[in-house]
Amino acid sequence: MPDPDIVLLGGGISRFARERADGTPVDWMTEATRDALADAGVDHGDLDMSVVSYESEILARQVTMGQVVQDALGLCPKPSVRVEAGGGTAGAALRTAFAYLKGGLAGSVLVVGAEAVGRLVSSATVREVYALSGDVEFEMAAGGFFMAYYALMMKEHMRLYGTTEEQMALVSVKNHRNALSNPMAAMPMSITVQDVLESPPVVAPYKRLDCSVLADGAAAVILATADWAAAHASAWRDKPRVFMTGSGCGTERVRLGDRPRPDPGFAHMRAKREAARKAYAMAGIEDPRAEIDLAEVADAYTGAELQSIEALGFCAPGESGPLLEQGVFDLGGALPVNTSGGLLGMGGPPGAIGLAQAIEVLRQLRGECPAERRVPGARRGLTDIHGGTASYAVVSIFDRRD
Amino acid sequence: MTELVKRKLEARPAPEPDPGDPFAAFREVEILDMQMAFGFRHSLGKLSRFFLALEERKLLGTVCPTCGKVWLPPRPVCPDDLAVTEWRELAQRGRLAVGSLSAYSLKTAGGDRQLMLGYVEVEGASTLILQQIRNLGAHALEPGLPLKIVWSEEAVEHPMELFWFEPA
Ligand SMILES: [Zn+2]
Repeated sequence: MPDPDIVLLGGGISRFARERADGTPVDWMTEATRDALADAGVDHGDLDMSVVSYESEILARQVTMGQVVQDALGLCPKPSVRVEAGGGTAGAALRTAFAYLKGGLAGSVLVVGAEAVGRLVSSATVREVYALSGDVEFEMAAGGFFMAYYALMMKEHMRLYGTTEEQMALVSVKNHRNALSNPMAAMPMSITVQDVLESPPVVAPYKRLDCSVLADGAAAVILATADWAAAHASAWRDKPRVFMTGSGCGTERVRLGDRPRPDPGFAHMRAKREAARKAYAMAGIEDPRAEIDLAEVADAYTGAELQSIEALGFCAPGESGPLLEQGVFDLGGALPVNTSGGLLGMGGPPGAIGLAQAIEVLRQLRGECPAERRVPGARRGLTDIHGGTASYAVVSIFDRRD
Repeated sequence: MTELVKRKLEARPAPEPDPGDPFAAFREVEILDMQMAFGFRHSLGKLSRFFLALEERKLLGTVCPTCGKVWLPPRPVCPDDLAVTEWRELAQRGRLAVGSLSAYSLKTAGGDRQLMLGYVEVEGASTLILQQIRNLGAHALEPGLPLKIVWSEEAVEHPMELFWFEPA
């Protein structure tokens, strides 16, 4: 069996914002694709196929988004596949492209994703549609919705480990601050722990500034086999080479109450542990905290970042809060987390955010990030994104090789 | 002047062109008011008996004949071994596993009003069920709080609204 090396050749982001009236999702995906092609130094006529990442077409009033994008990008009659995995959609899209390339069905893949979930759709409508991505028969009918599920997870985490609201607030401070040097971010903010604690309550323990906002936007990356890249991409010659060296996926029962207790229970993300375990095995990582230089981690809510850090094996369950206080996950710390700003700082279009994470890692590993958020000498990065209440998780590993 | 396009909410002229903007000629914006309403004849399928039993003030779980696990919410097939389960009536009391207060709720659950949600360990069930907690009084919404089912005296929209939990 051939086992080609897979290279991340380039990426482009169409600005994340609370409202993008200046285009449709197809427009944003086109913009992101043009930028990704320019970054990779690839002619779009040379691409073998696309993977389109889009979660909720209802919110865009456009079903069959994959086919519409394929047409707009001039990729017909080439193959294409559209992928959906809730908030983890873009992670699943990356992994799908990886699988096509590893399996020899393509030499290059454009992965492009977007989501129209900003202010042009009312937030009540968005919440209602997203509640449909959990258990609809019992939990949604009882009044359940995602912010509440995430809050209940952290209630348990706090009870088990003494995790505090101040620690959660620190995640918000860090990620909004990191976004200050990211022009593609929707929510750059200089805020304090006090600001977070005093923001309006949503579902205890979460306050408004503990929660990421939904944003419009798109992102695109180009993945290829090393052979294809050498023949078709100027980035292969001109820019530092970043390879996708690990991919893992894991799943979990949809209802929190159905998960085995006490572990994973409410506080632990078993799907993510499984995804990380597989990705680490593929990339040859044994001690993730020591061997990874930066990580873009799913932070739709501040506590979810802490839960994710633990599930990724950066520390034992319950240790993430104290380590965060010590600055381990800050810029300049041993393992900076969400240097892009994450979902909290960038805003979260589900179809795009997992690709924006990969682009942040690419920029960091190439040394292209502005000095304010650069991780000097970074050689290996991780991206982690999930859907539902971490019912579906994808972890990807990227390595710079000179 | 009459609007020629009834659904037009807004038309924004293009801003001063940004030098180097490749889309400078595409910066005018028109926003329309579009609506979509869906109705469903939604079958509750193999779960229907659970919801119909609520009207008789009975709480049903399902027990797996292979592993003995009692599922609440019920499942027609135990996911641990894919065995077809059997219905079992459960006690109408339990304990709070974890609960929280929400400042608002979904439109389908009444919109802006506050809502207390909790996962409840019903006596005899192996799993937890999410439901509303009401009339907490002076009790704290803490794990272990003994709870009982209270049934709605009024007609409701959805069968899950026929019951909630209150301190026992
Ligand atoms: Zn069983």
